[in-house]
Parts: sequence; C-alpha cells; structure tokens
Amino acid sequence: MSLSRVFKSLGATLALLAVLVYLGYMIVYVAYAVNLFQWPFDYDQGEGFELYDAILYSRGEWPYRDNGVYPFYASNYPPLFHLLIVPLLPILGPLPVAGRLISCAATFVTGGAILVIVRRKVGGWLIPLVSGLAYLASNYVYQIGPLCRMHVTMVMFETLVVGFIAEFEHPRHGKRNLILGLLMLLCAGYTKQMAVFTVVAALSYVFLRDVKKAILAGVTLAAVAGVIFWLLNVATAGQWWINIIRANVNEFDYRQTIFLFKQWFQLHTIFILLAFAYLAYELFWDRLSAYSLWFLFSLGAGALSGKWGAGFGYFTTAIAAACLTSGLALGRLQNASRITHYASRFTHYALRIIIPLLYLLQAPRMLHLPTSGPVFGPLARALGVENDLVYGTSDNLAENHCAVVQYHDVMGYTQLGHPLTADDYAAGEEILDYVRTAAGPVLSEEAMFSLLAGEPVVTNPTQLLNLYNNDLLNTTEIVERINRQEFGLIIFRAQFYPHPVLDAIGQNYKPVEHVCMNGFYYHLLWPHRQLDHFSE
Amino acid sequence: MITKRQLGFAVVGLGLLVVTATVGVDIVGAGQWGGFGPLQRIGISLSLAALVVGYILIRLGDRPA
Repeated sequence: MSLSRVFKSLGATLALLAVLVYLGYMIVYVAYAVNLFQWPFDYDQGEGFELYDAILYSRGEWPYRDNGVYPFYASNYPPLFHLLIVPLLPILGPLPVAGRLISCAATFVTGGAILVIVRRKVGGWLIPLVSGLAYLASNYVYQIGPLCRMHVTMVMFETLVVGFIAEFEHPRHGKRNLILGLLMLLCAGYTKQMAVFTVVAALSYVFLRDVKKAILAGVTLAAVAGVIFWLLNVATAGQWWINIIRANVNEFDYRQTIFLFKQWFQLHTIFILLAFAYLAYELFWDRLSAYSLWFLFSLGAGALSGKWGAGFGYFTTAIAAACLTSGLALGRLQNASRITHYASRFTHYALRIIIPLLYLLQAPRMLHLPTSGPVFGPLARALGVENDLVYGTSDNLAENHCAVVQYHDVMGYTQLGHPLTADDYAAGEEILDYVRTAAGPVLSEEAMFSLLAGEPVVTNPTQLLNLYNNDLLNTTEIVERINRQEFGLIIFRAQFYPHPVLDAIGQNYKPVEHVCMNGFYYHLLWPHRQLDHFSE
Repeated sequence: MITKRQLGFAVVGLGLLVVTATVGVDIVGAGQWGGFGPLQRIGISLSLAALVVGYILIRLGDRPA
C-alpha cells in the first residue's frame, strides 16, 4: 500500500471517529433535554419567572411593574423570548417545557447555522459538521441549552446576525443580507441586553468595509431600537427603564471573571487557540472578517461574567464564535495546502490526520455525561468516570448539595446538567402539597410551585434584591404584609430577598420542613399564627 | 474602507485611553485597593498589548483592514 493511501485511510478513520464522538455529545445533550422536558418544576432558579412573563403577555399584561406593591413582581429581561413562548402555551399549558423547547431548538439552530456558514466558506463535511456539533458539545451550552431561559435564544439571533452581516457586500443579496442582519440584531437585543457586544462587532465590520453604510445602518438600528424602547417605557409608565436598565447595575467581582475565563479556556482550549490564531492571521495578513470580530467582541461579554447574578453562561456567545472561527481556520489551512506551491503533498495528507486528531484531542477536555442508566452507565465505566465526581454521596458530598447526583463533568461540581430522579419528583409533589394547602398567598423563590397550584406568583426575589441594592425598592408594603403574616407559606432556596424582607420573615415565620429536591434544600416556613393555632 | 494604518491608530488610541484611565483612577482616588490593584494590572497588560498590535498595524500601511 502506498504512503498516500495509508494517510488517506488513517485520516478517514480519524475523521469518522471525531464525528462519532461529537455526535455522542449531541446524544448526551438530547437525553438531558428530554429529561428536562418532563420536569414540571424549576430546574434552574428563574425558569418559572420567565414562563410567568410569557403567561402575563398571553393575558395582555406587562411584566414591567412597580415592585413596591403587591404582588411585588417584575421581569428584568426584554420581551422577545417570552413572546416566542406565548404561542406554545395553549398547546403545552403553563409549563416550563414551552420555554425549554424554544431554547433547545435555538441551540440546534445555532449549531446548524455554524455548520452552514463553515460549509459555505471551506467546503467538505468534517470541519463544518464538527464545528456545528462542537457548540452542542460545550459543557456550558449543554447545561443551559435546554432551560426555560433566554440566553441561548439570544446567541441564536447573534449567530444569524453574523451570518447575514458577513455577506452584506454580496453582489446580488447584499442589501437583503444587511437588512436581515440588522433585524436579527434587533431580535438579539430585545431577547437579552447582552447582545450589545454583537451589535458593536457587526457594525464595526460594516464600518471597516463601508463607512457610509455603517453609519446609515447604525443610525437606522438606533432609531428603530430607540422608538421601541421609548414605546415600552411609556406603555409601562417608566417601569421598563427601572427594571431593565437601572436594576441591572450590580456588583462586580473580578476574581469570578478571571476564574471563568480560565475555566472557559481549559474546557475549549483548541477551539479558542484556533480562533485567536485566525484573528491574528486576518488582522496582520488578510482582512478582518465579521466572524473574527465577533469572536473578539464576544470576549467583552465574558468579561462581564463577574457581575452578581452572571456566570459561565456569559461565555456562550464566545463559544459559538470560537466554534465557527476555528472551523474557518482549519478550513483555510486545509484549502491552502491544496492550492499553494509551498505545500507538499505530504502537508496536505498530514492535515487530513492532524485536523480530526485536533478534534479528538479537544473532545475529552469537555467530557460530561450521566454516569448511570443502560447506555450511560456502561459508557461511564468504560471511560473510567463512573465514580468520579458523583457528588452528593458520603465522602464527596458537595456543599449545599443534598442528593446523590450521578453525573460526571470535567468542570467538577455543577448545579446544572444532572438528570432528575424519582426522589426529585416526589419532593416536588411534597412541596406542592404545602402550596395547595397554604392559608394565604405563597411567597416563593421559584414561580413554578405557585403556577402549578394555580396560585398567584408573588415576588421575583433576585429582581427585588437588584432594585434594593440600587436604592430603587420601597420595602414598606412587603414588610408590612410579612409582619401581618398574610403569606400562608414561604419557600426559600437561596434566600435572595433583600435584608429587610429576610429580617421580617425571620421575626414572623418559622421553618416547618426542609425538603431536598434537585440537590437543593427547599426551606418551608409557616407564619407564627399558624404554628400557634396548631399548638393550641 | 478603513486601512490597516487607520485601524492601527484607532487601536493605539484605545490603548492610550485605557492606560490613562487605569492610572487615572489612582489620581482621582477611585478603586478599592491601595497602590496598584489587580484590575489596574490587567488594564495595563491589555493596553500594552493594544499598543503593540496598533504599532504593527500602522506599519502595515494602506492595505484594507
């Protein structure tokens, strides 16, 4: 057998193996998503509130309200994600699966868009396919992808923005692409405020190539976004501005940002190094593309991850950008080896081996999978991780995590990502019994208990805390109601309420039970009046 | 169309702005650390990188950025 045939066979085998590994990650993702679709309670604190925003829209009500008056509830996010959920509510009912389906679909659209863009730019199948699948294989995307939260929907719109804007000079469809790109920018921004970094990246790219067009596009976008912003503020009597902008000024911990930058780099090392190499190549030897600029500016979103309430999710845009640009980098390398005179046939064949090998080296850096079940159990044993980081058991019990979790993640302890158990369902029903029999409205840190029991949703604790920390919350009414013991039940998970609220609760309510659900203790508190009644 | 040189000047300007702001916080007495804090060290490192990148871009002349 000739040397070239050996290279070809080896390259094809490695390529097939790489695709299978990343398809395996997609199966892990789908299994997790399907597991979550069936779960009726909050999995991540905040899912129920996002669903409740959609419910309010379906009733023709705004979620931007005065937090100082009953029910002390407001949303701190723009409306688009919640509006996308509305059509699903009559079909699926007021359950988080409606939002989880939207988010899950958004991750697949993002992966698909990366695949299409890379395929158009570099051709072939291995690089585009793995670039798209790599997005779903990321630990971060896996954990937050199928949640009823808006972040990955914003990333989907951002990816589409870059796909369209990159082609704004197309000889036939340039104008259409620019308009569609701006429309996607508007959608991304009205899904989540974080899209501002992609706005800067997209307009910077247009500016580098056509200054006049960039100014026109920027002014048009600012005008349309500004008018919508103004209309929303007028319609909500100024509550939009307070809840969306002023409440989001939070404390910043630079150590958290540094930690997350390191973790993000360790998990996605090869994609990130390739993305930086491609950026440097374009910066010094070629022209900057929309993709490289997107990657660069997406790091700005990551830099904000130290904000209170932020986390690794702020790197999702950077992950999508790294998957895309790393694919372009490898494609460029592969194509250059075909057409340049400097490259020998040996280089060309070596790349056929090196490229899938790089993908295979990257794959275990993101290792995450359930460690039990008929498929994942044997797989975890084969990989030697069946007992590794199965947290929640005796000697490796994670702090604040009260249940056994059979899930492995190279990140170590994670709040998200593990499959739900029969015990979790039983615990959820137990808490729901308390809610249904409560003598008065329920003050809960998670909305799903109230929604499932048909009770009003009272308070959005993190929003109350945001407002309180910015001197924007009058706690008089809520404290008075707590002092009068009007609430029949209080459910704590993280105690994110402002201090005056926590103090008043401490003086008027007592814990009656601590229920372990989804790895967290839910503390159930009754008013003193009810406990006195029982003791009599 | 923006050239590498023009982009280079913009990057150098940005780098100088970051240096000024990083040192300036001590002059106006802002910040939570005495002396040169960790965020200032990060700021200086990033601005130095920007100055180097900007200088190379300026040297690359009128090629399209």
